[in-house]
Amino acid sequence: MPRPVVKEITFTLDGREITAPEGMILVDAAGKYGDTEIPVFCYEPKLGQPVGACRMCLVEIEGIPKLQTGCSTPIRDGMVVHTQTQRVHDAQRAVVEFLLINHPLDCPVCDKGGECPLQDITYGWGPGTSRFIEPKRHFKKPLELSPLIAIDRERCILCYRCVRYSQEVAEDYQLVLQQRGAASYVSTFDGHPYVAPFSGNIIELCPVGALTSRAYRFRARPWDIEGAGTVCAGCTAQCNVELTVRDERVLRVLSRDHSEVDDGWLCDKGRFSYQAVHAEERITQPLVREGAELHPASWEKAIEAAAAALKKAGDRAAALAGGTTTNEEAFLLSGLLRDKLGSSHLATGVGGEQPLDVVRALADPKLQATVPDLEFAHTVLLVDCDPIDEAPVWDLRIRKGVRRHGTKLVVASARPTALDQNAAATLRFAPGGAEGFLVALDAALSGDAGNLGGAASAAGTNATAIQEFADALRAGGEEVVIVYGDRALRGSAGRALLNIASRLNLANVANAGLLELPSTPNGRGLREVGFAAGHGPGFSTISAPGHGAEAIASGLASGDLHTVWLHHVDPLRNYPNRPAWEKALGTAQTVIAVESQLTDTVREYADVVFPAEAYPEKEGTITHPDGRVQRLRQAIGHPRAASDVPGSGVRALWQVISDVARELGHSAGTAIAGAVVSKRVFEAVPFYNGMTLDGIGGRGLRWQEHATFEVEQSDPFVLAVPASLPAKGESELRLGTFRPLWAHKDVDLSPALQFIRAKQVVELSKADADARGIGEGDRVEIGNGTRIPGTARIRAAIPAGSVFVAEGIAEHNANVLTHGIVEVHRVGPGSTDATSIPIQSTPAVEGRAEMPPSAGLPIPPREVT
Amino acid sequence: MPANIDTILFKDIDEPGLNTREVYERRGGYEMLRKALKMEPSAVLDEMLASGVRGRGGAGFAMGRKMSFIPKGTMDKYLVCNADESEPGTFKDRELMQKNPHLLIEGIIIGAYCIGASKSFIFIRGEYDYVADILDAAVAEARAAGYLGENILGSDHTIDLVVHRGAGAYICGEETALLDSLEGKRGNPRLKPPFPAVQGLYQGPTLINNVETLMNVPVILNMGGAEYAKIGTETSTGTKMISISGQIKYPGNYEIELGMKTRDILFDLGGGPLEGRTFKAWFPGGSSSPVMPLTEEVLEMPYDFDSIAKAGSMLGSGAIIVFDDSTSIVDVCYKTAHFYRHESCGKCSPCREGCNWTEKMLVRIKNGDATPMDLDIIESVCNQIMGNCLCVLGDAMAMPVSSMIKHFRPEFEAYIEAKREEAGFGVAIPQTNRGAHAGPGPLLQPAQAA
Ligand SMILES: Cc1cc2nc3c(=O)[nH]c(=O)nc-3n(C[C@H](O)[C@H](O)[C@H](O)COP(=O)(O)O)c2cc1C
Ligand code: SF4
Ligand code: FES
Repeated sequence: MPRPVVKEITFTLDGREITAPEGMILVDAAGKYGDTEIPVFCYEPKLGQPVGACRMCLVEIEGIPKLQTGCSTPIRDGMVVHTQTQRVHDAQRAVVEFLLINHPLDCPVCDKGGECPLQDITYGWGPGTSRFIEPKRHFKKPLELSPLIAIDRERCILCYRCVRYSQEVAEDYQLVLQQRGAASYVSTFDGHPYVAPFSGNIIELCPVGALTSRAYRFRARPWDIEGAGTVCAGCTAQCNVELTVRDERVLRVLSRDHSEVDDGWLCDKGRFSYQAVHAEERITQPLVREGAELHPASWEKAIEAAAAALKKAGDRAAALAGGTTTNEEAFLLSGLLRDKLGSSHLATGVGGEQPLDVVRALADPKLQATVPDLEFAHTVLLVDCDPIDEAPVWDLRIRKGVRRHGTKLVVASARPTALDQNAAATLRFAPGGAEGFLVALDAALSGDAGNLGGAASAAGTNATAIQEFADALRAGGEEVVIVYGDRALRGSAGRALLNIASRLNLANVANAGLLELPSTPNGRGLREVGFAAGHGPGFSTISAPGHGAEAIASGLASGDLHTVWLHHVDPLRNYPNRPAWEKALGTAQTVIAVESQLTDTVREYADVVFPAEAYPEKEGTITHPDGRVQRLRQAIGHPRAASDVPGSGVRALWQVISDVARELGHSAGTAIAGAVVSKRVFEAVPFYNGMTLDGIGGRGLRWQEHATFEVEQSDPFVLAVPASLPAKGESELRLGTFRPLWAHKDVDLSPALQFIRAKQVVELSKADADARGIGEGDRVEIGNGTRIPGTARIRAAIPAGSVFVAEGIAEHNANVLTHGIVEVHRVGPGSTDATSIPIQSTPAVEGRAEMPPSAGLPIPPREVT
Repeated sequence: MPANIDTILFKDIDEPGLNTREVYERRGGYEMLRKALKMEPSAVLDEMLASGVRGRGGAGFAMGRKMSFIPKGTMDKYLVCNADESEPGTFKDRELMQKNPHLLIEGIIIGAYCIGASKSFIFIRGEYDYVADILDAAVAEARAAGYLGENILGSDHTIDLVVHRGAGAYICGEETALLDSLEGKRGNPRLKPPFPAVQGLYQGPTLINNVETLMNVPVILNMGGAEYAKIGTETSTGTKMISISGQIKYPGNYEIELGMKTRDILFDLGGGPLEGRTFKAWFPGGSSSPVMPLTEEVLEMPYDFDSIAKAGSMLGSGAIIVFDDSTSIVDVCYKTAHFYRHESCGKCSPCREGCNWTEKMLVRIKNGDATPMDLDIIESVCNQIMGNCLCVLGDAMAMPVSSMIKHFRPEFEAYIEAKREEAGFGVAIPQTNRGAHAGPGPLLQPAQAA
């Protein structure tokens, strides 16, 4: 879709000629090009069209008798604007006076004091005194708008920002204004708590202290704190954040608006899970197993132990990395294994490994779509992924495109997504059918009727549905962005995807292409720096490829592999097939774990434990799914161990790996500073060549914009019809899994987020529920042999025959189920305790059933007059 | 008025059964629709432009011009009839719709044909439930007769009409709030531009007109625009329904030719003041219009859009509310402010807070806890509301309130003193303290004050 092109015009601002892009909103143009601040409250371009509610931005425009709102007036050539006349001053003073008559002016005890637009504008433009001597409007204060947000309705200036956000950005439609006139107040319609994946953004939007973070309330004043910019490593969206730091503690996470990454929004996981950084449970010193127990150990001892085990293992060593692993750590660790020990048993993901030619072809810069493309493309196709769970801010970005630019969304997935409501076409296939779907879609696009039917039925759908979907995909226009999860890449799926891209000619269309959702936050970076079984840094070929994740598990279990290094990853929680991994870790000679807390995995299986850094403590780089290399910058110091042994605390992980390398005599893998490792990474990865930490700076660098990466072009691959999904019996269901947004160990450790911790839900269709006598919220069991309990959730958009359970969660994780075919039965009625119903991360998708449960009505507002 | 016409919209208004299609058609009803369908839409528009008829809902904007702003071409366009009639003192639309619903329906269909809209709505205030029932019945009759629906009267035009009952808010009479309400949202005004004619209901171009305005459409087509323009004055053409209420002998709805002398309206039609009283003041055009004292000069004023505007008020919806000497202007002022405070939607700050504040100050005046300088504050607050709000509801409070203070200040001051006496507060604060109370203004030094 064409992005707006702008022409420069000249207008007069307070007697000065100003040149600015035509059509820019006056307040923006005045600020950016005219160095004149026009005060605003309700204006926030991120929320869509201006509403002109607060009237703070009134200015005089020659030729128009009434004062005009600068926030809604686009500039035109020759326009003459006055912002400093008596008339304007009077109006601005009046608006401030109006806004303050019902405002409590409790700034000394208000969290916003010191960083409050209302305060600033009052000082700058207000009358200084008030003539209002009547009683003010009173509300009970403060109230819980949700477990995360407190609302003080007395402070609210009714600017509508939060309500517009809920309705027009998050589209959860929960916040509304109740009552009218001076009695208006912000609320949810029936008083239920405002629980939504992105609720915290309203705290930042509120221009007064009406909406405050309950986790931050009264923790600091603006003059106590410092802001530190870094990147949230909570998921692969890698939102840019500013951490509020006081006395080496992170107290708050704010957005550091980057239009090409996050558009200025954060999800609640990213905003509130910083509490895990300072959790009591953090491991702050190395541990080494002696006998049956793990004991605190000195760094020297731990490093020696790890080095000794690796030395013994030699090419029978393996490593897994995930979580917040930086490019630097991955580079050093993979180098250590490959160059020193001769092992390429390196795995990062849970997806099936693809052949190197496919991996390289998928990394072709010409095929690379960017985050803004999600908003402006003609069509966005989601393949078996749900951004709300995997890269939440993309969900908002896609909504924005659909809402404001008419982008067409088409969804093909096994599990219904949160975006289904906004989609022009949806296609459901059976869990595990992504490969079949991609092959079928390729066949439909190329007119290969033979493959189409076979592959469609292998995906558990039919040729007509796929053909219609393919037509819908083509109908929108040539700019197509395909978003796919790396977990979909099994078998010939990667080749099918490449075929589809070439049939849609994506390589030759600007602003179109592929966008992968890696299953681990820095999945792309890990792969690019060579932390992979099949290639080295920059996708270089290697002489002896290693095992992928599944083969590592079986290798460890059989004794073929000796030692495994778990870097920020807990396979018992995050990888499929927990029983296999239990066996693997149980049999492994040595398990070296980099972990932040004493998980069951660590307690039971680890032999050497290095304390993990939290992301605010890290220095290094990570790579965004669209190729943007971003910098993690250290915001706080590493925690010290309780003892006063010098150097006993958490250490930088690049340093730990470097120390182990030194111990092993691998001098090429040692470094004296983190920046040195970064430099080495930039040198080793050809398309990172020339990057510097300063160059990356606060905004990141997309390597595709600076470097080339040549990929051999091939003809479309000839694909075979994938094997059919295993047959299932009458009473059986096909099992699919999903990783809820809240399934994260930092969420488990954050007190504020306890209420929303992901619990096991069993999502099934109405028909299957009815057939089993299961009602919404009932307790059920699911499995085949091994069973896990969960709460039933009936979703209209799930086709009969499929069932979905959550993975990556702390208890009753789906990964204990090893059969793809399961049975579900009812155990008993759900608990009547409303708080025990799992609160869903998705906004209302299929109606009220998915809304969070209602709490009692809030205390009604009380007017004192 | 030309000799052959004495009333237009009110012609035979009390004929029994006029609300049925049968009687309406017997009187020539729906003939104009047939005629219109044979004309080009642009020819219908030309007649409307030639008639010069101005909107009867309040703003008095020329209907033909508004129609001409609707973009041509095929797209989803809408026509909305504003039957919210919530302005205190206005009750003309009710009688018109109740007694002659088919004239409105015919006007709407012709209007929709003219602008190329296939969907039209009547947004009627919820309290007019029984009138809405009458409209519903009439719409059903019209549909059955093929005037509404697909291929009306065998043409290839589809025009449908839905009667929508509002939920009871004055603000929903404001055209953009009406649209939001009709879309199922909270009825709050929208920022203009874009004007509804460009982007209205469901983002489509929308023509919004008052009931009375639309009822004139078949009339104009019948007479011809140029002929219609001969009625009334040059800039205020046609007849106008006026609703007379208040302290007057014969309150009620009347149809007048625009330009009629005020005295004739109040004395001939209205019958003059009640026994033993004299007229004091009036709202010439609904409770949002600035109040004018009923002086000899005002009584001579022709009742039309421009003459009233020139005299400092407005014709508005044509609702005349009269007060006589037995009424305290302070009470009128308080009731007016109270109404608008209650009806303010709360979206923009000057109206929300200004109306609220003004009412509170007037309450204090009534409680004997005010001083004359509060009148200054009220005036200054009203001045800051006027012209600075999102819609004109704020102005609708500020204009009458400030006009009352302007014209009747001595009465307000006397009232304040009397109430202070009564409440035991003693005489008002000496004028020297004025600055301290009135906010940013020169503060007098204590020495000077003494
Ligand atoms: C607060 C407010 C209330 C209004 N109420 C009504 C109403 O009840 N009926 C009406 O016809 N117009 C009302 N209007 C005027 C409408 O906004 C609009 O100008 C009118 O419907 C246009 O129709 P007309 O051109 O035929 O007059 C109101 C305007 C405002 C600002
Ligand atoms: S709570 Fe804050 S953001 Fe919401 S309307 Fe009030 S002032 Fe605006
Ligand atoms: S900022 Fe312009 S009206 Fe609020």
